[in-house]
Amino acid sequence: MGGTRGRSKKRAANTDDMWNSKSKKKSHAAALEGTAEKLFQELLDGAAEQQPEEEIDTEQLNMEGIAMLGEKLGLDVETDLRIIVLLWKTGASKPGTLTKTEFMEACKNGTLPIENGWSSVKEMLPRLDIGFLTGNEFKDFYKFCFQFNRQGTHKTLDKELVVALLPMVLKDRVPSDRLESFCDFLTSMEGKQEQQYNRITLDQWASFWDFCVECEDLGAYDQSSSAWPVLIDEYVEYMEEKLKK
Amino acid sequence: MANAKVIPLEEGWNEIKAKALDKLQNILNEDMKTGQTNLFGPKEYVQIYTTCYDMCTQRSPYNWSRELYQRHGETIEQYLNDYVLPALKDKPRQGSNILLTELQHRWKNHQIMNKWLKKFFTYLDRYYVKHHSLPTLSQAGLRSFRTHIYDVIKADTTQAILSLINDEREGKIIDKTLVKSIVELYEGMGMGTLDAYTTDLENPLLESTREHYARKREEWINDSTPDYMIKAEGALREESDRVAEYLNSSSESKILKVLEDEILERVEMVLLEKETSGCRALLQNDKSEDLNRMYRLFQRLENGLVPIASIVETFITEVGMEEVQRRQARVDGEKDKNDDPSFIKALIGLHDKYLAVVKNDFAGHSLFQKALKNAFVEVMNTNVGQFTNAELMSTYCDRILKSGGEKLSEAEIEESLDKIVQLFTYLTDKDMFAEIYRNQLAKRLLASRSSEDAEKLMIAKLKVQCGTQFTSKMEGMLSDLAVGGQQRQEFEQRIRQEKIPLDFSVLVLTTGFWPSYKSPEVTLTDEMQKCMNIFRDWHDQKHQKRKLQWIMTQGNATVRGTFGKKTYELMVVTLQAVVLDALNDGVTLGYEELAQRLNLEGDMLKPTLHSLSCGKYKVITKTPAGNKINNTDTFTANAKFTSNMRKVRIPMASLDSSFSTKKVEEDRTIAIEAAIVRIMKARKTLQHQQLLSEVLAQLSFFNPNPRVVKKRIEALIDREYLERSAENTGVYNYLA
Repeated sequence: MGGTRGRSKKRAANTDDMWNSKSKKKSHAAALEGTAEKLFQELLDGAAEQQPEEEIDTEQLNMEGIAMLGEKLGLDVETDLRIIVLLWKTGASKPGTLTKTEFMEACKNGTLPIENGWSSVKEMLPRLDIGFLTGNEFKDFYKFCFQFNRQGTHKTLDKELVVALLPMVLKDRVPSDRLESFCDFLTSMEGKQEQQYNRITLDQWASFWDFCVECEDLGAYDQSSSAWPVLIDEYVEYMEEKLKK
Repeated sequence: MANAKVIPLEEGWNEIKAKALDKLQNILNEDMKTGQTNLFGPKEYVQIYTTCYDMCTQRSPYNWSRELYQRHGETIEQYLNDYVLPALKDKPRQGSNILLTELQHRWKNHQIMNKWLKKFFTYLDRYYVKHHSLPTLSQAGLRSFRTHIYDVIKADTTQAILSLINDEREGKIIDKTLVKSIVELYEGMGMGTLDAYTTDLENPLLESTREHYARKREEWINDSTPDYMIKAEGALREESDRVAEYLNSSSESKILKVLEDEILERVEMVLLEKETSGCRALLQNDKSEDLNRMYRLFQRLENGLVPIASIVETFITEVGMEEVQRRQARVDGEKDKNDDPSFIKALIGLHDKYLAVVKNDFAGHSLFQKALKNAFVEVMNTNVGQFTNAELMSTYCDRILKSGGEKLSEAEIEESLDKIVQLFTYLTDKDMFAEIYRNQLAKRLLASRSSEDAEKLMIAKLKVQCGTQFTSKMEGMLSDLAVGGQQRQEFEQRIRQEKIPLDFSVLVLTTGFWPSYKSPEVTLTDEMQKCMNIFRDWHDQKHQKRKLQWIMTQGNATVRGTFGKKTYELMVVTLQAVVLDALNDGVTLGYEELAQRLNLEGDMLKPTLHSLSCGKYKVITKTPAGNKINNTDTFTANAKFTSNMRKVRIPMASLDSSFSTKKVEEDRTIAIEAAIVRIMKARKTLQHQQLLSEVLAQLSFFNPNPRVVKKRIEALIDREYLERSAENTGVYNYLA
């Protein structure tokens, strides 16, 4: 995110040099704001068309609105993570929602480049690939994935969702056998253990990533001294059992 | 003395030699008579001393100090070489006693000679010796003896002493005084240190002791362990006595150490593990004396008690487990009850027995206390059958405390409680015991079936073991009853004004102290309801901030019933009373009607009806007859009911389960989380393992699985009391 912010400052400096006038700057900002308003309204309208019977909150985009955003940018919301990276960069703070304030602010500070409408945003899409995220950025983004996918006031994610989400988010960062076996493990917990793992907590979600980074070799895993969540302990047990067979 | 005649060296020396030295030699050679201590009279002595003095005080070149000092030495040396050494030379061949006797004799003589020579030449000691820092006369004399006699003869004498000691070890009588005096000679030869004694006598002695007892060990080891131990103990005592009698006291610890090595340490495991007479066998046969001897012997060794304690622990665990198996067999044979006094009694018996063994035979040594504890922790926490040992123990307490149970005297009650509390300390799930105990206590208290003093006594004992927190609810229950007693009188005065045809009293219990009871909203009789309203008004007025909840399942009533011509007093619980009232005056009601009228669900109404119509006293007739209450049954009062007693108690099964494991689980969850938060609040940041061990240390009433604690940590992370440190996933931060 730091990089993005740096770029926007630079652009502002250039403007100053060329016109050296506050009013020009103001009018540029006003124009930008107008475009942003227009684009946001487009998204709201698109969403309203999709769900005509619902009452539309004009101050925020719901999931339909976000799907609309994906459509405008030519992204498949179901499978393309770049839409979530974009939302993360825009600073979406509520699960499944992008507020107008957040949208406008992102347009203003250049996180969302909109000089030429949607095409400007499209231009930046290649930069949103999660492969570009550094370790800490990714960690933050990874947590965002959990938070954004929460439903309203629920503090946990449904297991099915986690099993679908994890491979998308981690596929290039975690060895596929680890990912697959973990998802298998989650699915196999069905009905067992008083169904305690039907929902996944943020701590469990976040710890799985740390666990993948810190513990590549399961053989070296020491359950008695580990501070990992019990879920991870049980995953390791599950893998040991599997090995024995 | 200026004009006094100068004494020439030879003249003076000859005088001294003739008057003193030769005479002394003669006396010594002629075997001086015993008791003759003054070999020289004062006059003779003064004369010799004066000559010596004069010779030493004459001015140079006539000062003969140096010469006299030299000749003093030569005199001794010559005497030793001419007389003493030859006398000893052939003795070793003639036997130890003869050698030692001769040496003793010669040593005595030398001491006399040395003494007198020192007296004669004492003036030398005062100035010449001091001035030139030479050995004093007596030192020089001793050194002479050491060089010319001791060093030559010591190998033989040491051998002689050792052979005498070995003779004594084999039971022969030896001349201890003789040996003692020779030992003193060895001690003297160190010139103020024990070096000579240690090197020349003690070391060879230790070596021969080692050999001797190594032989003995091989010889004794074929005996039974108790016999071996008796011999070993005897040997230790003998060696100790020997040192006291004629050796230097510093040798005692060294010699005993050799014995400990040879006859104890090397064969400890062999002795302990002897099939028919080892430690196990001794425990099995209650060989108190032998066990005590075993303890005395092996506590001498560093870590010598460890293997014994381990055998004791295994043994006690095994006998305890036998009881558990016996219980298992009983449980397999018949339906398990929460009351198995024979199991608890057997364990108490075992505990008494082995506590006494630890106390008496093993001197209460901490290793054995620990062994007993470990064994009982294992036994007490092995649960078989449907009911945990915690429940069995609590039920055993119930038997003791309940009036009409075991029928014990006050002293017996206290003793039994003491013992059960001892067992209780080994229980890991103390909270489980507390929960069950509280339930049973509540039953006893509500039914007034125990003595308050005994209840208080037991609670006090638990409090000593586990602290205030553990017993606060139980104490609260007792104090509810105490307060209730005072309030009842006040209320009785109040209700008398109302002229109610009922005896009515209420027990106010504090929520939380007591187990939670079901409280159905049963429709009561008008009289009852009226009484309750009066009480509620009265109580609300007194305690405005309290909320009353009526627990109908715990109430009792005595109702008068007339069956035919006979009248009985029926002692029933409130629900039974309400049902009886509904069927008063010969009314017949169907089950559904009853349920509706009384506003009772089946889980309450059915057991109540069952107790009245299917129990021992059938005061109600059920149609159709049968042992099960169906929704289609009808009920009416049994006009033909008769009983020999005028007062009839109609028992009814309890409507509340005795206790809930769930409750205990919940309490544990709270306790673990509270401990985690408490610790983290103080420490702010803590590593996982450390947090875990501190939590386990704080939880004294149960012993949770680490994974359970971990789950609580996770729950607290979810609730944002804690977070995982960003730098290290094994470290937690406290979030204020």
